[in-house]
Amino acid sequence: MLGEPGEVIKAKVRTRIDSHFHRFIAHSPFLCLATTDAAGYADCSPRGDYPGFVKVLDEHTLAIPDRLGNKLADSFTNIADNPGVGLIFLVPGHRETLRVNGTAYATDEPDVLARMQVEGKRPVLATIVEVREAFMHCGRAVVRSRLWHAESQALAEEVPSLGQIVADQLALDAAAVDADLEAAYKVLY
Amino acid sequence: MSQTTLLERVEPVARDVLALTLRGRHGPLAPWQPGAHIDLSLPNWLQRQYSLCGDPADPDRYRIAVRREPLSRGGSEYVHLFLREGRELTVSLPRNNFPLVPAPSYLFVAGGIGITPILPMLRAATALGAATSLVYTGRAADTMPFAQELASRHDTRIGVGRADLTALAADLDPSTLVYCCGPEAMLAAAEDAFPAGQLHVERFRPRTWQFPANRPFELVLARSGLTLPVSQDEPVLDVLDRAGAGVPAGCREGVCGTCEVTVLEGTPEHRDEVGGAADRLYPCVSRALSDRLVLDL
Repeated sequence: MLGEPGEVIKAKVRTRIDSHFHRFIAHSPFLCLATTDAAGYADCSPRGDYPGFVKVLDEHTLAIPDRLGNKLADSFTNIADNPGVGLIFLVPGHRETLRVNGTAYATDEPDVLARMQVEGKRPVLATIVEVREAFMHCGRAVVRSRLWHAESQALAEEVPSLGQIVADQLALDAAAVDADLEAAYKVLY
Repeated sequence: MSQTTLLERVEPVARDVLALTLRGRHGPLAPWQPGAHIDLSLPNWLQRQYSLCGDPADPDRYRIAVRREPLSRGGSEYVHLFLREGRELTVSLPRNNFPLVPAPSYLFVAGGIGITPILPMLRAATALGAATSLVYTGRAADTMPFAQELASRHDTRIGVGRADLTALAADLDPSTLVYCCGPEAMLAAAEDAFPAGQLHVERFRPRTWQFPANRPFELVLARSGLTLPVSQDEPVLDVLDRAGAGVPAGCREGVCGTCEVTVLEGTPEHRDEVGGAADRLYPCVSRALSDRLVLDL
């Protein structure tokens, strides 16, 4: 139904982070991290910081800092049960995305965390990804989605705020939830 | 205030050290004095402080040298792996926490990349007719930037390993000023060896201090009329940010001096390494000893 990938497409899959992929990661402020739990249920969660927040420790190893978040820690729980992970790196303005698949574990290695210090604060944990495969994903999805067009930002105005969504779902005061969120977003590390 | 530059040249000057030449994008750059540093804004949004090591008489160019740190937090690694000639880069106006005070003679002590602010100081002191001497050490000969050009000076001693600062202090004339920049161990040794009145040091990283426990206090912003509680857990800089009264910040470690604000009333607790006037506060690290601190904001 989907057809077979062409030879160039198959050949583009690398087993290591070469200098091009390293440069891509060094300019990427955002990625999605997919994991699965012991029962095989999947989860996908966003990670973001300054470009290059994911450290390339060597050509087979990445480190992703664990910053302040919702403390749900689904990814860590999942990785402990099932180390397989899939990553998509985005560079704003770039049509293509970098895909990295591999296996992961959590670490509190001081030398790794030291490299992730921001504003004097270092994360408590990091996710180490041992790279199994890495490849560029073609830009059609980004092109079709007009993801980086400035006009596309107007879409957000048509979507309710998180405060409104949570308020409706839990019968809370939307303005109060939004105000709490804005205050919380001021502390990023 | 910032300035736009073009990265004119990137060249290795020692193992793991690159020299960057930045040319003013729109004409001359702001003037500077030996000892000054700039904030360099990198394409990856990080901002780092580097001492100017070029010629203050060249109005069009700044020169800095960047050592790649083994545990880089993303600044020096970016410079070494990804920064390309021709790139437009934003820099701050020069700031000088390490100015050359007039004296008949100087002893300069530099360790490794700490040579960068010393280099223009040495030239300026020589041009002024002062007696100069430089002791320049490093972990290995090939890790020491500008060692070759300095080796030709008659007043320079270059060596691998630790300098015997105690011996230097024993021979020190009371009219000689000592300027020291290098790793923390060297700075600490210099502070032990030389009389405080004769010694000026420049730190790239803050010392490890034991401060008394944080106490909460009240912050008053005189110009905007805001009164803000500062809890024991929160830096003053974050409290200002949260109140929409944020000030520009650089290192956030009390080293660079970017976030300087003026204290109008109250007693600041200085925890910075800038060593500014008593009424200057660096809110990234400093706090208050009084229950109330009034800032000129």
